[in-house]
Amino acid sequence: MSKFSINNLECVRQNNILFKGLSLTMEDGALLQINGANGSGKSSLLQICAGLIQITTGEVLWNNININQQRYEFQSNILYIGHANAIKATLTVEENMTIIHSLTGSKSKINYSAILKKIGMSGMNKIFAYNMSAGQKRRLGLIRLFMAKSKLWFLDEPFNALDKEGKKIIENLIISHCDNGGITIFTTHQRMEINGRPLQSINLGNNNV
Amino acid sequence: MYKWIHQFGSPKYFYDISLCLSKWVTIVCIVCFISGLYGGLVLAPADYQQGDSFRIIYVHVPAAWMSLFIYIVLAASGAISLIWHIKISDIIARVSAPIGASYTFLALSTGAIWGKPMWGTYWVWDARLTSELILLFLYLGYMALQSAFDDKRIAARAGAVLALIGIINIPIIHYSVEWWSTLHQGPTITKLDKPSIHFTMLIPLILMVIAFKTFYITTVLIKTRSEILKYECNSSWVKKILGN
Amino acid sequence: MSEYINIFNVILRRDLILAFRDKTDFINSLFFFIIVITLFPLSFGTKSTIVNEIIPGMIWISALLATCLTLETIFRSDFEDGSIEQLTLSRYPLTLLVSAKIFAHWITFGIPLIIISLLMGILLSLSNEIIMALFITLILGTPILSLLGSVMVALTIGLRGGMLLNLLILPLSMPVLIFSTVAIQNAASNQSMIAEVYFLAGILVLTITLAPLATAAALRIRLS
Repeated sequence: MSKFSINNLECVRQNNILFKGLSLTMEDGALLQINGANGSGKSSLLQICAGLIQITTGEVLWNNININQQRYEFQSNILYIGHANAIKATLTVEENMTIIHSLTGSKSKINYSAILKKIGMSGMNKIFAYNMSAGQKRRLGLIRLFMAKSKLWFLDEPFNALDKEGKKIIENLIISHCDNGGITIFTTHQRMEINGRPLQSINLGNNNV
Repeated sequence: MYKWIHQFGSPKYFYDISLCLSKWVTIVCIVCFISGLYGGLVLAPADYQQGDSFRIIYVHVPAAWMSLFIYIVLAASGAISLIWHIKISDIIARVSAPIGASYTFLALSTGAIWGKPMWGTYWVWDARLTSELILLFLYLGYMALQSAFDDKRIAARAGAVLALIGIINIPIIHYSVEWWSTLHQGPTITKLDKPSIHFTMLIPLILMVIAFKTFYITTVLIKTRSEILKYECNSSWVKKILGN
Repeated sequence: MSEYINIFNVILRRDLILAFRDKTDFINSLFFFIIVITLFPLSFGTKSTIVNEIIPGMIWISALLATCLTLETIFRSDFEDGSIEQLTLSRYPLTLLVSAKIFAHWITFGIPLIIISLLMGILLSLSNEIIMALFITLILGTPILSLLGSVMVALTIGLRGGMLLNLLILPLSMPVLIFSTVAIQNAASNQSMIAEVYFLAGILVLTITLAPLATAAALRIRLS
């Protein structure tokens, strides 16, 4: 059983308090949605959880230990997908996947075509990323979800730029991740439901979470 | 120790203590400055080689020392803010940099003014002057980096990394410049370095050094206080002070 | 350990491929380097005494300026497309990944720069001792520039004011310039340049040790 919790978090950006006194605890199988308007601090909160942003007040704990005291232990358990897709335009789909694969630290060989099929991009192995549409690039960015074996997922607006079918794939993926004991935190513009499943959700933007 | 740092680093505590501290430091500064100037410009005898123009050392030498000292302060407070995340050290580093740059500029300009009667030219590629000039560049780079950020806290931490790299580099820069100048100039200039200094000349110099240092401390305290108010404008104790 | 070597190679290969596919930046700054060097004989004349005295120093200054032009490529695209977040949050030490990127920069820019300098030296008929000294100082000096530069790029990338990087890097690279040019002058007058070479090697070891750490720290600060 693993546990991810944040404790009395406060985020100040350019002298504006985005949120303060934020605490929550998540255990295996939890699915959390962060929603709020633009500029409400959704992405910041996600980046704080992933350890990208250092905070002055509050703490982020993984299995009850502050993540700053076990950075690489924590980082080998997480998968963060930000707003940007983090794929290289001048590399082909396969080359991009190879790098993603190497960074996950897994030693097994990858079956490019099988993974591409799962995300609905069959036969695009040799295509350069700069030739792809925004939605395809987003899918390629999200392909990390299939390749990493991380327990904790932090997804920043995962459904952006995706079509209906792509959305469905990712939703199913998130559900099955959580059913297998994973923890997912993702942000959206507005509240949404995933397959009618009960979601923990927090709403940012009115400073009184 | 850790607890003490944290207590001293709390903005409110610092704000309160710095008020009473700055009063005393200001008095010390004024006393040392007046007596140092009087001793240096009136009481001390003229140098047998340089005449009255040596008296500029009472500004030049303390300014040069302070320029290096303040860079060390930048690096030290940078290290503190990187390790312990203490706001006060962020602020101290930020307000110190322009003061340090001014001292560096003062040291350079008094050096040039002194150089005219001594060497017949304003600028000599002397090792110390050259490294002082590079130090000025380092200060300017630090300030440029600080002003490029919108978020003051990130600016402070980025500046801290830069200052730490700078402090490692300063000895290397100084040594390389010295190496270079001995190759190009020969040892003529070192003759002008006074190996021994007379007692009546030394006392005013020490007073001036204290005056410069206390002036720096006073300025930092005053500027830090006003920065604290800006930083902490949302907290209740600042609202209380400003309300009154 | 082998895992670390493996990931180092992956990142190194990745950056080499990226540089190879998008080479305008590198080629342009190498051209800039060549053009700047040809400016010097045009403005100082071509008497062999002048050429031998001035050109080696000028090659070094041009190398420094040309390096400044390419430094941003170490992190620019990674910042723009978000890859830097993935590198920062990977299970591997950021210091290691950053070292691979710096090494890739030196291979793609430092090595061609050294080769071109030597060719230019031969074309401008510098003496053999000077060309040898130029080679040794460049091979020790250009990695220092890449390493120091990576820290400064990490601090300044994406900030407003494009000159900031140069303002920061130039004062810090003065020792390298001084020791290199002094070494070349010594070689030109048939004196030993071993002391300066040791200094350069020492600075190189120091920067190899500290610069990747500082770069990683700077990147983390910039992302927050």
